[in-house]
Formats: sequence, structure tokens, C-alpha cells
Amino acid sequence: MTAQSLSQRTITHKLGLAVISEDYDRIDATLRSTLHDVLGLGEARTAALDADTALFGAMPELDSMAVAGLLTEIEERLGILIEDDEVDGEMLESFGALVRFVATKTRR
Amino acid sequence: MLRFGPDHGPLVAIALPLFEEANRLRSFAVAICRVLATRGVASILPDLPGQGESLVPLERCSILDIADGFDCATKDAWNADRRCYGVALRSGALLEKLALLDGRWHFAPQDGPSLLRDLKRIKQASQPHSRLVDTDWYFDPDAPDDQLDPPVEIAGNLISTALLTDLSVYAPWTREDGGTVRTVRLDTDPAPADRHVSGSPLWRRAEPGNDLTLARLLADDIADWVASCER
Repeated sequence: MTAQSLSQRTITHKLGLAVISEDYDRIDATLRSTLHDVLGLGEARTAALDADTALFGAMPELDSMAVAGLLTEIEERLGILIEDDEVDGEMLESFGALVRFVATKTRR
Repeated sequence: MLRFGPDHGPLVAIALPLFEEANRLRSFAVAICRVLATRGVASILPDLPGQGESLVPLERCSILDIADGFDCATKDAWNADRRCYGVALRSGALLEKLALLDGRWHFAPQDGPSLLRDLKRIKQASQPHSRLVDTDWYFDPDAPDDQLDPPVEIAGNLISTALLTDLSVYAPWTREDGGTVRTVRLDTDPAPADRHVSGSPLWRRAEPGNDLTLARLLADDIADWVASCER
């Protein structure tokens, strides 16, 4: 492999990482605002959400009824379709898990 | 039926969404009507069959029954030779198809299949230990063949299988169907619209709320749109 093609591959790889990072930032921001709007979380609680923040079973506003509205709102805002058999406790375990789940859907 | 504004001039008839969202948006709709009145635009907020104080139980309604109720609510305007405009919130856009309207204004319109998905998720959430089938999940396989299918209880509402079947194919009125249609959505909703505005999706909240800033903004948009249609 020539030095030039190696360099091009490095640039492409870095660009790819940048796109993925941008994608994650967009998904993170959208999910944050969706949780804020659907669950009525205050600004402080919304800002304090991080990857380890526990959601279903830990956040009192997020009962099973609220999950239905939350998923539909996420679908509308991000233009994705979440199948019923994909909805389980794992994807809603934490904010980070939800971001990772949605990221896999948006990249398909 | 609530009435606001003058007893002459164009009339705005508001169609609330179906089911629980109607309760969550009623105060918001009233706030819109009040601002419209200050702009000199008359409005009505009818209780449609199966909604609010209607004497007809929801479980006996198909979507045509509810749409017929909306049409009846606008008849007075026609009899008085007043022009009548439909303003629909969310799935209210599915209920104004039978009415003869001079124009339709939709806020965050939701189509039938999307609403049906919502209802299925809510139903599934209430029975986590038994998985609903993919399609026709609202029919009871054990129901006798020689009787009407029993209504389905979803989040406290008894809904007829006829209404649920209607939802699987119903879509809001569009410009292609004829006449003037204006669509406004929240800026968090990427679907096409004539205008996107900032605000909260009150229809998702567990408790009914209000957003007076958004109500004022939408009422101004409606009043300006009606004025442009009247020119």
C-alpha cells in the first residue's frame, strides 16, 4: 500500500468517526429533548441525563403507558420504525442503552 | 358544545383528537378559541359522539359516526350562511372528512395507522405477559361468530373493533383531496408542513396541561389564514 492511499484511508476513517460522532450527538440531543417533552422532566433533570442514568423502573414518570408515547415520539422525530419485538427492558434500561439502540436503527 | 366569539362572520369548528388525547388537549383548544375571539373570529368546540359529554358511548362508534357528529356541529353555520373552517388537532384531522368546509387547518395531524400503533403499544403495556399478534390484534378469537365483536378496552376507553379497523386505513384530508389545507407542526416533527413552530407535544403528557404561548401563536396563525381565505 502506498503512503498516499494509507493517508487517504486514515482520512476516510477519521471522517467516518466524525460522522458517527455527529450522529450520536444528534441522537443524544433528540432523545434528551423527547424525554423532556414527553415525561415533563425539568431542565435540570434533562441536563443531568448521562449514559448511566437508569430509565425504565427507576424514573417514576416512565411507566409502561408513557413508554408507548415515548417510542412513537422518538419514531416521529428521528424518522425510524421501532418494531414491537425490539422493545424490551434492555433498550430502556439506561439513557446510554436507549441512545445505542436508536443509533443502530438510524444507521440501517 | 362550547361557543366563542361573535355570532356572525366566518366560523372555526375545532375537532379534538380521538381518545385520551382529547382530554389532554381540551384546555389548549379552549385557549386557542379564546384568542380567536379576541381576533374577532368565532369558533365552536363540539363534543363529538363518544367524546366529552356525548350521550353516545364510544364503544358504539365507528369513525363515520364521529365524523357525522362533526358535520352536524357545522350545520348551523351553513344554515346561517356563514363560511366554516375546520381546525383539527392531531387525529381530529380524521374526523372532518364528511363536513363541507371552506378550508382545513391541521395541527400536528396524525394518521390512522400511526394512532393504531400507539393504541397497540398502550394495550400491550397493559398486558406485558401476553404478546399481541401483529395484525387484527383487536379481534377476540374466542368471540362467537354469530355476535358482534366485543369492544376492546384500551387505557380505560372501550373502543369498537369497527373504529379500530377504520383507523388502519384512514388518513387526514390533503390538498389532493381538494380545497385549502394548511398544516402546522412542531419544529421537533420533521414531516412536511406549511409552518413549523416551537412548543411542547401536550398530547403526550400523562396529565392535561396547557401552553398559552403556543395557543396564542396558533390562534394568530388560524386567524391570519382565515382572513387570507376570506379575501
